[in-house]
Amino acid sequence: MCKPLLLFTLFFITCLFAEDLSYNAAITSKFGDNYNFYTYTENRFDLNIFYKDFQSWIQYEYSNPPDIGFPINDIRKFRIEYGHDNYTIKLGDIYEFWGRGLVLNQIDDQTTNFDNGIRGMFLGYEKGGLTFNHINGNSNIWDFGQDLRIPKYKNSHNVSANQIIFDLNSLSLGISHLSSKENHMLMFGNDAFISHNMKGIYGSWILDNVDLFMEYVDKISTEKNNIGPLDSLKSGHGFYLNFNIYGGNWGLTTEYKRYAFDKGHLGFTPDDYGNRIAFQAMPTLVREQNSTLLGRVAHQFNFNDERGVQVSLTGSILNLDVIHQYAHLSRNEEWQSQTLLDWVDTSIDGYLPSSNPSALPYWENYLEISGSQLNDNLYFKLGRGQNRGILEIMRYFKGEQQDRIINSFWEYDTVVTDFYGTIYTIIDSAEVLDTSFTDLYSVENKMWQELKSITYPLELSYLFNNGYSVSINFEYQEKQLRNTSNGNSREYNASDSLWVLIDPGNPDSNFTQYDNLFHAGTKNFDTQFNRMLSLTIGKASKWSATLTHDQTNAFFGPTTVDPYYNPLEALIFGDLKYFTGKRNKVDPPDFIQKKWVSLELAYNLTSSQRISILYGSLQGGLFCSNGVCRTIAPFNDGIKLSYSAIF
Amino acid sequence: MFVLISGESLETGGKIPDLKLKLLDGKKTSIHALLEDGPLLIDFWATWCKPCKKVMKHLDKYHNKYEENGFKVLMVNQDTPRSVGKVKSYIRSQKYSFYVGLDPNQKIAKKLNGLIMPTLILVDTDGTILWRHQGYMPGEEVEIESKIQSAIGLSTDE
Repeated sequence: MCKPLLLFTLFFITCLFAEDLSYNAAITSKFGDNYNFYTYTENRFDLNIFYKDFQSWIQYEYSNPPDIGFPINDIRKFRIEYGHDNYTIKLGDIYEFWGRGLVLNQIDDQTTNFDNGIRGMFLGYEKGGLTFNHINGNSNIWDFGQDLRIPKYKNSHNVSANQIIFDLNSLSLGISHLSSKENHMLMFGNDAFISHNMKGIYGSWILDNVDLFMEYVDKISTEKNNIGPLDSLKSGHGFYLNFNIYGGNWGLTTEYKRYAFDKGHLGFTPDDYGNRIAFQAMPTLVREQNSTLLGRVAHQFNFNDERGVQVSLTGSILNLDVIHQYAHLSRNEEWQSQTLLDWVDTSIDGYLPSSNPSALPYWENYLEISGSQLNDNLYFKLGRGQNRGILEIMRYFKGEQQDRIINSFWEYDTVVTDFYGTIYTIIDSAEVLDTSFTDLYSVENKMWQELKSITYPLELSYLFNNGYSVSINFEYQEKQLRNTSNGNSREYNASDSLWVLIDPGNPDSNFTQYDNLFHAGTKNFDTQFNRMLSLTIGKASKWSATLTHDQTNAFFGPTTVDPYYNPLEALIFGDLKYFTGKRNKVDPPDFIQKKWVSLELAYNLTSSQRISILYGSLQGGLFCSNGVCRTIAPFNDGIKLSYSAIF
Repeated sequence: MFVLISGESLETGGKIPDLKLKLLDGKKTSIHALLEDGPLLIDFWATWCKPCKKVMKHLDKYHNKYEENGFKVLMVNQDTPRSVGKVKSYIRSQKYSFYVGLDPNQKIAKKLNGLIMPTLILVDTDGTILWRHQGYMPGEEVEIESKIQSAIGLSTDE
């Protein structure tokens, strides 16, 4: 209770000394409740106060529970800053961004509940072209487990970081260092204590028609073992290059990355520690999509082990804006399964990403054309996104093996013995085993999971002269998710450590098999078809209403069943019996299944205050923001309210 | 809360702090330095924000149209490392001439409450905040221009 009082007192003082002080504030409130007990209440109040050389920021939050994260009724964030001449001092919650984030990029992203802020101190000194920055403090960073709303794993860091920047005209050079003592929570067992040490260097050169940025970081981690000195745990490096060329109204952006802080053919879990830490939030080299369906097939990038290139061409021709973007990524190694459990890696030759499925490659190709016509009253956008990626490799062996042949035979030995004058002949026998090998023969046993999709996002909006506007967004997607197996073997025999040929008499008999992973009920589907249509009608500066209809034909995983038939669905699907008391009150009809319908009304109370209400259902799925991806839980048959104000 | 809901006056008032920022061409400036010649309209945007791109066309038009009156537009970009490399390409492709500031970890946006994109803040030459606006719907450019005209003294519309 005393903290809200403190907040109010600060606000009161702000008003009292209004002549010397200036302030601004923001309020955001969100409420949601649905049929599946998905309930949340989130309220945040941000207050910035400026007084001469002082600045302060306080964020108070009351959330019980929030949409994602832990309940809180407290001052969540605060910071006091003092800047005079060349000095800057900050105390409280520090958020800094160095280079392109290979060493430090701090984000507080509420939509994915990712927060890598440091509570502590920042010291800065700037003179001429030289800048020195120092950060010291503690940070608690949470990761999610199975639960999509409540984080499970806490990693605590004690951080010290330094940066020196030298700016000279269009050239900028920076060196940075960050060390952290981490208390790392594991999935099983006691926490691990790790020391991370990073040294980074970056440079940028900005000219009129060309600019260049490069950053390199070297990282070493050691683990405390309570017995002796710190053991060396892992070491790695990261490199990022961005080279842009501009000519006329065209720009070509090229990016290259190579992050090698760890390696693996599977996803990394909390038990894989000592590698990249959460302060490193680097460029991903995949497109930051604003299409819902493309967002759902976003690549699950790996900051620990990934390399890639991205080329993007942006320009305009014939009054049309054109964006074309191509990306190719892969892990840094190709993998081979010696057995089902033992995998060995081979570093990829050269610097470019691999297309070999065992390196988990990913390709992205996006083209967008947009423009305006009719005195800018008509806006249109056509897009085409093609994504393909290997998500997982289950087996990947190509090589030679030979069968072992065990021959057994008996050896006999005759011994003549004199026993009290009688001659006896004794025949000894022994079984002798002899091992021989067949000729070497080729074996191939591969199995991987692949996702392919093609998506067309379309948008059309028209503004009438009276301030009304109509906007239609339509997205269509075809998606294939399947396991591919091929080779001349499909099994492994652990007892004799050999891959088993499908036809031992004919090692050349190969097979290829595709197993589709989309299904609805018991029926399998080769392709998942997704369609999303949203229609918005709005009146400038005042209100807008958006009706969204999201539809699929199949699922990966359990088939989602909509258990509740709501009036919006009845209205949209023209089921008038719903409103006349003749509806079936027990079973929801089939025509609402595999569909999510919602209606959102937004109203601007003033130009700086906005309220919105959403009723209906939203399909969950992958959501990426700021380089962090989370699977968002679906929202079934409920209501969402939100209010935001700035003043 | 009731005060907030009913308070049209909340859009105005208060002084803008003198925050430092880096421009797209690598030069450094501050908000007060950009206010030297006349009013300034600050807008927060990102390359992936659809309504931001729609309003930018109009803002660039106003930046050029009222440049003689000392008026400027400052577009504060919030692209993260994921997409910050593409900002200049986009600006160049559109031949925009307004000022573009870089705010990759939302330092400025947090201090000016510009986390919702787009958010527009119209500031008078003396640093007084004349108008705040969240979001963009087609047609709102009419109101934006009217506020700019009012700020530079071409209209009496408040």
